[in-house]
Amino acid sequence: MFHRRRATMAAFLLPAIAMYALFILYPLFRGVYLSLTDSVGGPISHFVGMDQYTAMADDPQISAALWHTVLYAVVVVVVQNGLGLLFASMLFRREKVRKALSVVLLTPTLISPLMAAFIWSYLFAPNGGLNALLDGVGLGGLEHVWLGDPSTALYSVATVNIWMFTGYSCAIFLASYMSMPTELLEAAALDGASGWRRFRSIEWPLLAPALTVNVTLSLIGSLKVFEFPLVLTNGGPAGATDTLTLLVYRNIFGGGKFAYGVAIAVLLLVTVVVLSSATNSLLRLRERRV
Amino acid sequence: MTSPPSTAVSAAEVSRPAGKPDAPQPRAAAPWTPRRLATGLGTTALTLGTVLFVLPFVFTIVTSLRTAADVARSPLGIPHSFTLKNFTHAFSQIHYGTSTLNTLLITGLSCVLITVLGALAGYPLARITAGWSTAVYRLFILGTSIPVFVVVAPLYLLMRDLNLLDTYAGVVFIYTALNLPLAVFFYTSFIRQIPADLEEAAALDGCGALRTFFVVILPLLRPVTSTLLTFISLQIWNDLLVPLVFLQDPGKRTVMVNAYSFIDPHTVQPTTLFPAALLGVLPLLVIFIFFQRQMVAGMSAGAVK
Repeated sequence: MFHRRRATMAAFLLPAIAMYALFILYPLFRGVYLSLTDSVGGPISHFVGMDQYTAMADDPQISAALWHTVLYAVVVVVVQNGLGLLFASMLFRREKVRKALSVVLLTPTLISPLMAAFIWSYLFAPNGGLNALLDGVGLGGLEHVWLGDPSTALYSVATVNIWMFTGYSCAIFLASYMSMPTELLEAAALDGASGWRRFRSIEWPLLAPALTVNVTLSLIGSLKVFEFPLVLTNGGPAGATDTLTLLVYRNIFGGGKFAYGVAIAVLLLVTVVVLSSATNSLLRLRERRV
Repeated sequence: MTSPPSTAVSAAEVSRPAGKPDAPQPRAAAPWTPRRLATGLGTTALTLGTVLFVLPFVFTIVTSLRTAADVARSPLGIPHSFTLKNFTHAFSQIHYGTSTLNTLLITGLSCVLITVLGALAGYPLARITAGWSTAVYRLFILGTSIPVFVVVAPLYLLMRDLNLLDTYAGVVFIYTALNLPLAVFFYTSFIRQIPADLEEAAALDGCGALRTFFVVILPLLRPVTSTLLTFISLQIWNDLLVPLVFLQDPGKRTVMVNAYSFIDPHTVQPTTLFPAALLGVLPLLVIFIFFQRQMVAGMSAGAVK
C-alpha cells in the first residue's frame, strides 16, 4: 500500500518538473548551444565553435561592460548592506521607533525598478530635483550633470539601486537582531562593555548568517540589473554605464547579432554563478569560524 | 521622533519604587549622561536618515499634483495650485484601465499556477527521502540563481515555435517556470517541519495520497503561501523584461510596458513622469496597506534559511 502511495506522491512532481524543464532547463541548454552557432534567430544556422567567444575577447565593449557590471555590484553590495546594517543596529536599540521606521524604509522596495528610474531620472536631471536642492541649501557648487558625466553616471545609477533596497537589507539584519538571545546582550551590557565592543564581539558574529544572505541576494540582484541603466542612461554617456544585461538585450532584440547576444548571456551566467558561489562559500566558511 | 529627557519625566522615574530588581540599570535616573545624549542624537540622525529615504516619494507625490508651469517656476518651491489633470493625462497615456487589467490577469494566473505546482511538488520532495528526490530538489534550487537574461533568447525561439508569442498563456508559463524554484524551496522546507503523524493516521484510515494532500497538508500551508504570494506578486507586477519581449500586442500590454513605451524620461516633464510612476505603484500600495505584516515577512523571507 505504501508503495503505491509513494508512486502517487511522486506523480505530484510531474507538472512542476515539466514546466521547469520546458521553460527553463531546455532554453538554458539551447542557449549554450546557440552561442556556438551563427544563428540570427531564424531556422538556418551553422555550428561555428568558439567563434562568438573569440569575438567577445577582442571586443572592448564586452570587457568594459563586464567591468561596469562588477564595479556596480561591488558598490551596491558594500553601500547597501553597510547602510542596511547601520539602520538595523540603530533601530534595534530604539524600540519605540523600530517598527514604524523599518516599514517606512521598506516602501521604496515596493515600487517597480522602472518607476524608481522614472523618479530618479528627474531628480538627477541637470535642472532637476537634486541640483535644485543643492542650490537651495547653499551648496550650488556641488551641482553636477549626474547622469551625463561618465565619471559619475555609474555611481548615480547605483544610488537608485541602493535607495530602493537598503530597507530590504535592513529588514533582514533586523530580523537577525531580533532573534539574538537577550541574556547574552544583557550580560554584555551589565559587564559595561562599550557599544562598539558589544557590536564587534557579540552582535557582529551573530549577524554572520544574515550577512551571508544579504550579500548573496544583493550580489545576484545587482549583477543582473537592467531597468535602472536602461531607463536612466541606456548605457551612456559614451558607454560608461553599459552593463552585460544591456548588451544582451541590445544584441538579441535590436542589433541582429542574435548568437553574439546569447554568448554574452552565457558570460553573464558564468559571472553570476562564479561570483555568487565564491562569495557564498567564503561567507559560509567565515560563519563557521566566527 | 525624539525628545530630550525632560526633568519631570526623569524625576518621576527616580521616585518610582524599585519594583524590578533584575531590570537593567535604570538609565532614566541619570539625565543627560553622555550615553543618553548619544542615544538621543542617534535617534534624531536615524529619523533624519529615514526621512531622506522617503523624501523622493513625497517630492514625487507633491510634484505630480502641481501644474507644469508651477513646477518649472520653482521645482522645490511651495506649490501654488493643485490639479489632478496630470493624473487623468497619464491615465489615458499609458491606457491605465486596460493595462492594469492585463497586469492583474497575468499576475493572478501566474500566482495560482506557481502556488499549486509548487505546493504539489514540495510535498513529495519533503516526504520522500530517496536519492532521486534530493537530486530533483537540488535541480530546482539551481534555478534560483539563473538570471532571466540567460534564457530570454532561446525562450523567444521556443515561444515562437509553440505559437505562444503575444499570448497571456506564454507569459504566465514563463513566470511560473521562473518562480517555481523559489516556491519549491519554500514549500519543501515548510512541509519538512510538519510532523508526519497526521498523514500516517490518514493513510491508516485508507486516505489516498491525493486526498491526504488536499485534506491534511493543504490547509496547513496558508502562512507560507501568503509569504510566498506577497513576494512573487510584487516581482511579477513590477517586471518589465518578460512582457516587453513576449507581449507586444498593444491590447495585451502591462502597465510597466506601456509606461516604458509611451514615456521617455529624458524629454518629458516631471508632471507627466511622476503621475505615471505613481499610477504604476498604486495597486501595490493599496495592497501593502492591507497586508503590511505579511509583506514585510515576505520580503525578508530571504533570511529564512
